[in-house]
Amino acid sequence: MEDVVRGLLLIIELENILLIFAGVLIGVLVGALPGLSSPMAIALLLPFTISLDPVASICMMAALYCAGTFGGSITAILINAPGAPPAVATALDGYQMAKKGEPGRALGLAAIASVLGGIFSIVIFLFATPLLAEVALKFGPVEYFGLALFALSMLAAMSGKSSIRNLIAGVLGVLVSTVGVHLATGVERFDFGIAELTEGIKFVPVLIGLFAMSELLTQSRTLNAAVERMSAKTLRLPTIAELKNLKGTILRSSGLGTFIGILPAEGSTVAAMMGYNEAKRWSKTPEKFGTGCAEGIVGPEAANNAAAGGAMVPTLALGIPGSGTTALILAALVMHGFRPGPYLIIETPHFVYAIFGAMLFANFAFLGIGLAGAKLFSYVTFIPKRFLWPSVFVFSLIGSYAYSSAIFDVWVMLLSGIIGYFGLRNGFSPAPFVMGLILGKMVEETFTQSMVIYDSSFMNFFESGVFIFFFVLTLISLSTPFWQNIRTAFSRKKDE
Amino acid sequence: MSKKKKSIDFAPRTLGAGLVHKKDLILAAILVAFGALIYYEAGKFPPAPEILGEIINAEVFPKILVVLLIFFAAIVPFEFKITPEKIDGIDKDRGEKVLPITWITIAVLLSIVAAAEFLGAVLTMFVICLTVPLVWGEKNYVAVAIYAIVFPAFVYLLFNTLLGLYFNPGLLEFIK
Repeated sequence: MEDVVRGLLLIIELENILLIFAGVLIGVLVGALPGLSSPMAIALLLPFTISLDPVASICMMAALYCAGTFGGSITAILINAPGAPPAVATALDGYQMAKKGEPGRALGLAAIASVLGGIFSIVIFLFATPLLAEVALKFGPVEYFGLALFALSMLAAMSGKSSIRNLIAGVLGVLVSTVGVHLATGVERFDFGIAELTEGIKFVPVLIGLFAMSELLTQSRTLNAAVERMSAKTLRLPTIAELKNLKGTILRSSGLGTFIGILPAEGSTVAAMMGYNEAKRWSKTPEKFGTGCAEGIVGPEAANNAAAGGAMVPTLALGIPGSGTTALILAALVMHGFRPGPYLIIETPHFVYAIFGAMLFANFAFLGIGLAGAKLFSYVTFIPKRFLWPSVFVFSLIGSYAYSSAIFDVWVMLLSGIIGYFGLRNGFSPAPFVMGLILGKMVEETFTQSMVIYDSSFMNFFESGVFIFFFVLTLISLSTPFWQNIRTAFSRKKDE
Repeated sequence: MSKKKKSIDFAPRTLGAGLVHKKDLILAAILVAFGALIYYEAGKFPPAPEILGEIINAEVFPKILVVLLIFFAAIVPFEFKITPEKIDGIDKDRGEKVLPITWITIAVLLSIVAAAEFLGAVLTMFVICLTVPLVWGEKNYVAVAIYAIVFPAFVYLLFNTLLGLYFNPGLLEFIK
């Protein structure tokens, strides 16, 4: 309890509150702007937070993450262009409700469902994180290797265009993490005679390139795209009676979202889609879905915001990112000298509770911001792309240079962006690559340590029950999407 | 079901209705070639001292990853048989040619970064804010000029003056 109070006291300092509030504002803004996303904003913010207080910076990013998930629903509802992938499902009914002349109601439903889903998951986060950390404390290298393997295998089920491409991106990410000096032997790997590569490829410029620059190039295709927008004077919160009718959907989606968020690699997008599907499956009027029904808005919104809180659990307790965005928060933790994993909560519990407080604050803050400025935020879509994206490039350039004052990092950023752009065109998402890049060092270290402990025999790893457990989960998560796809293909062939 | 339906479900519309998907075959070949290069490079790493055992040689882990990469890459050309809708979606994206504006943008960005160290941070920002909107077809020249002056000034004030971030003066140092 003392740690909870200490953590909350940390964030009620004026400077920290202002930073968290700034995180919420940036989150709602980038969430609302199609093309900009919370991972991109966090990647751009990372180098600039070096000089800030570590607790405040991480709290700001956590707040940005929560608010960005909600921000995406504003444009999903008003212009049928989800500002962020998790809001795709919200657009299905949200835009239809807006078209019926109730944009304020649609935004209100989205806001309240997001807040309730967020609070639900934060409560789970508060209790689950220490418990999970306690379990993880008993893990040795082989158990951690099994866990990391499982996390990487979950990339197969991660939202994206293709399971196999997600896995390839993950492997490439891990491969890139091997560049530089091999800690166990001191051998310089894959430096190709370039001095800067002996230190390894820094993840911040890569993240900025993949998330910001590749999107800039994508946006260069759609400079003249026109959008049809609804005008929402204000956000209208649902009545108590309406909420009573929706409580089952909100609770179910919140639970589902939190669970999906806790699973390694699975983020808000999968949660939102499942939240929508479950809301429809349990609905007494499933035929109304897609025509602007309230359940179709609160289902995905509660789920995607709950997933944001859920994803923080494995990130902080195990050092395994729960989603693409939390992979960036994990990178920020490492950059600020924290040790993500069970020791984080053992050594600095107040810090974890400060993040919890920041996320709670963010949930109420974006409700307030949504109530006051829904109309204003819908205007952000009017910012011309011809000015918005050069600004993003300026931040990318300054950010990647500021990280270690080396022009080499700017080249890494730009080349990552160009490779990321062509990767996107071929169905490779940046998130699995980032997961691989960030988990790579841990995978190799735990693998090497386990090999030393178990007489250089992989088969001996199976002496550990926990490793067997994660190995079985890995096999299941790898095979499930393929079995599903093969079954679908065969059933179609049979129909023909 | 009609034959037309079959062709949609089990083969891409334009990229080869045979056993393999042509574009994905090229993609897989690139990945395999990349893997082979990495495998070859890894083979050149000096071995670890004997006392550490053979298994933790610096080459072992990258080689395992390359094997995995090649294994997954080998599935890519046949993926359209299993998930035709998803590959159709990818084909739609890559079927559209990379527009000249995108190539020009890449060239402009590469040129700006190549000149960044010489120009310095402030001038680089100015050049970005001036050239990218113009290259992207912005006709409001007054707005571009204002943007090119105000935005870099704002970034400089925010990050250099307020946050104390070091900005390389570059060319401005000589002008001084």
